[in-house]
Amino acid sequence: MKSPLHQDVYKQICDFMGEDLDAPACKEVAEHLENCPNCKVVLDTVRKTVTICRENEKKEAIPPDVKNRLYKVLKL
Amino acid sequence: MTETDIIKKAKNGDHDALTELVSSYSERIYNLALRILRNREDAEDVLQETFLTVLQKLDTFDGRSNFFTWLYRIATNASLMKLRKKKLVFTELPDSPRHPEEKFVDWSQDPSLNIQNKEVKKIIDESISQLSEIYRTVFILRDIENLSIKDTSKILNITEENVKIRLRRARLFLREKISDYYEGSEVAA
Repeated sequence: MKSPLHQDVYKQICDFMGEDLDAPACKEVAEHLENCPNCKVVLDTVRKTVTICRENEKKEAIPPDVKNRLYKVLKL
Repeated sequence: MTETDIIKKAKNGDHDALTELVSSYSERIYNLALRILRNREDAEDVLQETFLTVLQKLDTFDGRSNFFTWLYRIATNASLMKLRKKKLVFTELPDSPRHPEEKFVDWSQDPSLNIQNKEVKKIIDESISQLSEIYRTVFILRDIENLSIKDTSKILNITEENVKIRLRRARLFLREKISDYYEGSEVAA
């Protein structure tokens, strides 16, 4: 099986990050990552990026005044 | 009572059912708008607009799609309209990291990179704000709201392939922003 280029690895990042791990392209990416530390760094740091962003975007409770205004506008 | 029953009652103008729908989803809608718009006043406007639209158009909801997807679509569109009115200028994003010939620095295991670190939080907030609407909405829906690629594509009315392209570019852009910060602070340290 032909090994994918670095560019192809970047293009498969979404599939590789859990969308479609069984896709043939993902299997090729997995093989490529075993032999390409630089691409592995990109993937690991993208994963970490998503984790940090998720932590940053924690859910907020609706402020009581916002909730009151909503119900008033909706006449509920 | 199932959600389908509540929606049915709400369609007939049942006050309690409408209140129940608003109560069940208002927090999620407020947070979705806040994440896309990065501004509390705008998020409140979108929250109100979304549920006003729901009240007006609930009778057109035919149940073929998930109520949640339908609601998210209304809220996302309202957020996008607001974002477009601001007429911000964004740049196109590349498909791969800058300088791919270089050796990348691995900061994935560095525990200092967390949002308790105010500088990191600032970088994240600023970087998400720099994403144009087409990338920001995909990133928020898929990576922050944790929706599937399929639901994200339905909400935004774009193909799944397009979702993946935008998501990849957004992720790589944010990764580079953190990398720039990390390598800068590492050099400075």
